[in-house]
Amino acid sequence: MTNTETPMIPNEIVVEHPEKREPIGLFTWICVGWLAINLGVALLTPFLPIANPKEMISMPSMGMSLDHLMGTDSLGRDLFARVAWGSRISLGVGLGAMAIGFGIGGPLGMLAAFRRGKLDVALSSVMFTLLAFPSIIAIISILSMWWPRSLAKIILVVGISSVPLVYRVIRAATLSAGSKEYITAARVLGAKDRRIVFRELLPNVAPTGLSFLLFGVATVIALEGVLAFLGLSIDPNTAPSWGNLINDARQSLNDTPQNWPLIIFPSAILCLFILALNFVGDRLRSYFDVTEVKL
Amino acid sequence: MLKYFIKRLVALVAIIIAISIGSFFMIQLLPGDLATSILGVANTPANKRELYARLGLDKGLVQQYLTWMGHVLQGDLGKSYITGESINTSIGKSLPIDLEIIFLSQIVAFACAIPLAMKAARKPNGLFDRLSNGLTFGLLSVPSFIIVVYLVLIIAIKAQIPGTGPGSFTRWPEWAWLFTDTGMFFTTVGHNLTSMVIPTLALSIGSFVVYFRVLRSDLIATLQEEFITMARSKGLSSRRIMWRHAFRPSSVALLGTAGINIGGLIAGGFVVQYLLAIPGLGGLLIASITLQDYLVIQSTVFVVAVAVIVINFTVDFITTLVDPRIARD
Amino acid sequence: MSTETNQNNNPDEDFLVVENLTTTFNTARGPLPAVGGVSFRLGHNETLGVVGESGSGKTVLSRTIMGLQPRTNVEVGGSVRFDGHEIVGATEAELREIWGTKVAMIFQDPMTSLNPVTKIGKQIGESLHVRLGMSKDEAKARAIELLTLVGIPSPEERYEAYPTQLSGGMRQRVMIAIALACNPSLLLADEPTTGLDVTIQAQILNLLDELQMKLQMSVILVTHDLGVVATRTDRIIVMYAGRVVEMGRTKDVFKDHRMPYTRALLESTPRVSNPSHTRLKTIPGRPPNLLKLAEGCAFAPRCSRATEKCSQERPNLEPTGTDGHYFACWNPLDNQSAPVSSSTGSTKEFGEDNVRS
Repeated sequence: MTNTETPMIPNEIVVEHPEKREPIGLFTWICVGWLAINLGVALLTPFLPIANPKEMISMPSMGMSLDHLMGTDSLGRDLFARVAWGSRISLGVGLGAMAIGFGIGGPLGMLAAFRRGKLDVALSSVMFTLLAFPSIIAIISILSMWWPRSLAKIILVVGISSVPLVYRVIRAATLSAGSKEYITAARVLGAKDRRIVFRELLPNVAPTGLSFLLFGVATVIALEGVLAFLGLSIDPNTAPSWGNLINDARQSLNDTPQNWPLIIFPSAILCLFILALNFVGDRLRSYFDVTEVKL
Repeated sequence: MLKYFIKRLVALVAIIIAISIGSFFMIQLLPGDLATSILGVANTPANKRELYARLGLDKGLVQQYLTWMGHVLQGDLGKSYITGESINTSIGKSLPIDLEIIFLSQIVAFACAIPLAMKAARKPNGLFDRLSNGLTFGLLSVPSFIIVVYLVLIIAIKAQIPGTGPGSFTRWPEWAWLFTDTGMFFTTVGHNLTSMVIPTLALSIGSFVVYFRVLRSDLIATLQEEFITMARSKGLSSRRIMWRHAFRPSSVALLGTAGINIGGLIAGGFVVQYLLAIPGLGGLLIASITLQDYLVIQSTVFVVAVAVIVINFTVDFITTLVDPRIARD
Repeated sequence: MSTETNQNNNPDEDFLVVENLTTTFNTARGPLPAVGGVSFRLGHNETLGVVGESGSGKTVLSRTIMGLQPRTNVEVGGSVRFDGHEIVGATEAELREIWGTKVAMIFQDPMTSLNPVTKIGKQIGESLHVRLGMSKDEAKARAIELLTLVGIPSPEERYEAYPTQLSGGMRQRVMIAIALACNPSLLLADEPTTGLDVTIQAQILNLLDELQMKLQMSVILVTHDLGVVATRTDRIIVMYAGRVVEMGRTKDVFKDHRMPYTRALLESTPRVSNPSHTRLKTIPGRPPNLLKLAEGCAFAPRCSRATEKCSQERPNLEPTGTDGHYFACWNPLDNQSAPVSSSTGSTKEFGEDNVRS
């Protein structure tokens, strides 16, 4: 009877799935390009012919011109230079915090899911309790009392507060990858743990991890904006972050409402950067999900 | 069902204890000198010793924690070291404001998200679906603090709508007024609602986007289920199928999302409150951070964290009532 | 209902008339003819078996008869006249009038076809309340009666149960209760017993049988299992690749089948009279891809009797001479030469305990 049960009409035809696997698409590449440009600017700002972000090089509140692409702020500082230097801070916080989060949460999550048993129970109960704690409140209160502010402290606090979340995501991804038959097959064949982890599990967890990393960086960059608004990010006079720039603009816009580029540019760049991260992360996730269904 | 409920309740208590320990030690272990912030220039070693003895801070940390917890369990959060005001009173004044903002914003978010998600899910990949899907994806990437800034710029400054900008917050009137001066009561309610426009919009946009996207994709999946075809074969109207057969199972996912989201809103609302000078819990927390008012920070953090967890627990419990599948594992 | 008078030329035969029915799905990979021109008639109180492998179009056929195909990306041609209604081309609003009340369907998988978050009693009572206009209390009382009718013990208690709290067999009984709630005159049962244990299968089929007699319905029983249709149907349609390849009275099709595919299906079905450890014959090859159907007979690539002609020209349904028995084959098995292996031709072999009188 085996032959008679071979399906001939794939289910997706009888029941129409609206979300079929799409090609990667132009917009995804635009997003990747935008991320690359921002990353490039952040890395290369000191070597590019970009004005000093702290120097008052022109008249205050000038409109956009060839000399000052985005105009100048209320103190006559070049906005383009400030946005470019600001990307170093914002991206630095985002990537740095996620490096800490993944550096601690990733291995712990994989270990718990791979070993299971008591280790998993112990680690998971601690992590899930921490997860219940609203982390932004912890971040705000810790940073508000830990003087003086510095980039390293912000990265450290935000990074550590992201550990439980990273742990949960990686643990879940490892668990689902580990339950696949080929992992069982590898175990039965007597593969060493190290081999299973690095050759079988890691490649399967990596796509989930990567897309979550992108979402994480986006969240942290927005969070840095919140901290800047509360005056808890780094001192805007030493080095402005995107959040600082938006906060400055908000305050100076009361006096010079005609200087709207001051708020439009930094907030648009921040939102578009987050949008690109979200979009690429989302495509990545659905791309790999669909592949798995097809298998 | 009962067993499941009790299991969750035990976990809830354990988490609340963990949080109390967390919020206590987090504050204690941080650098910063309480004596300086209270005594200022009078911070001599003798004064400091006297102050610590008076506040009970000369005892061991564990004993301090137990004393604090003992008071908290009796419903007393203590008094501010700096202003001397009862923390119960401060939180009692602030909390209703948070609740009002959250309540209003959730009503707006659900009222927009549910019908729009249903319309989009009816024709997946149709014009309306593509448009709304793209638009909400874009909005998803706009942090709430940016939304507030633009709302203030547009509504309060450009459109000059009075009572909407920062600092224009009006408290909800006391109920007693309704019986003594009805006119005044409704005027104040009007002022209050006007001053709620921006914070409500700011928080509801973020919630709306999340709810819309979750409900839409869940509805699309649900509408492909065999039990929907089955409901069609009974000769039921599309409207009835949408609400009774598709929305109910999909609302499980929506509720779960709402639980997580409302928890986040309490915390996320802080920035909104700060920017608009609204004296809710966010305002209280940030004011006491500026004053380095340790006990108020500690108590506010504790209360907010417990509120978030209790909300999550409640939503979780409602979810199991709606969906009998969950409690059965 | 399988009395001789019913099987012979019956004035009632126009109860359901299906003519040249086609269902084509528009897929990303081109048009997919799931049902490719099916015609048959069904009388009052008659039971028709539709048999075929998975993907032979039998499920799509049963849904198209009801007008229940997906709303988008599908084209239906031909005609289905059911008790004076034309189904093909009717709007969903028109169809809603007869759905549930005149024609009802039992779905294949009761786990996925019952709403998981609604009490089963409510699911049965819903059509009573919405379609028949009963009050909520009346609907509840009737739902409990229906639960009793389909043999569910302690129906008052079960009324409050959710689908996940019932066993597979119970769920299928609930499905039957829902389908029968508004007394339909035509019941379409799509693989009603596929997911169930063998003992439960027999119970459910007997229940259907019994209810058919009691409630005077016509039934179309769709299945891949010849054992199911052998003793419970008056007539059989054998489908392959969306087309009818053989049809006739159940007795005739079993005894005197002409189409090699029917033979292959029969030989691949386990039978009571086989000695233990008998190896069942399997049908070589795979069912054809409907997106790439060739000109000729769709079964030709898997058929041992296939000739040149088979892959070039599609055979039409030809009468055998026996009343109402048709087949579509260029090289039919004939009565004498067919090497009937181990009493292939008896319906009794497929379920001796349930032989219809």
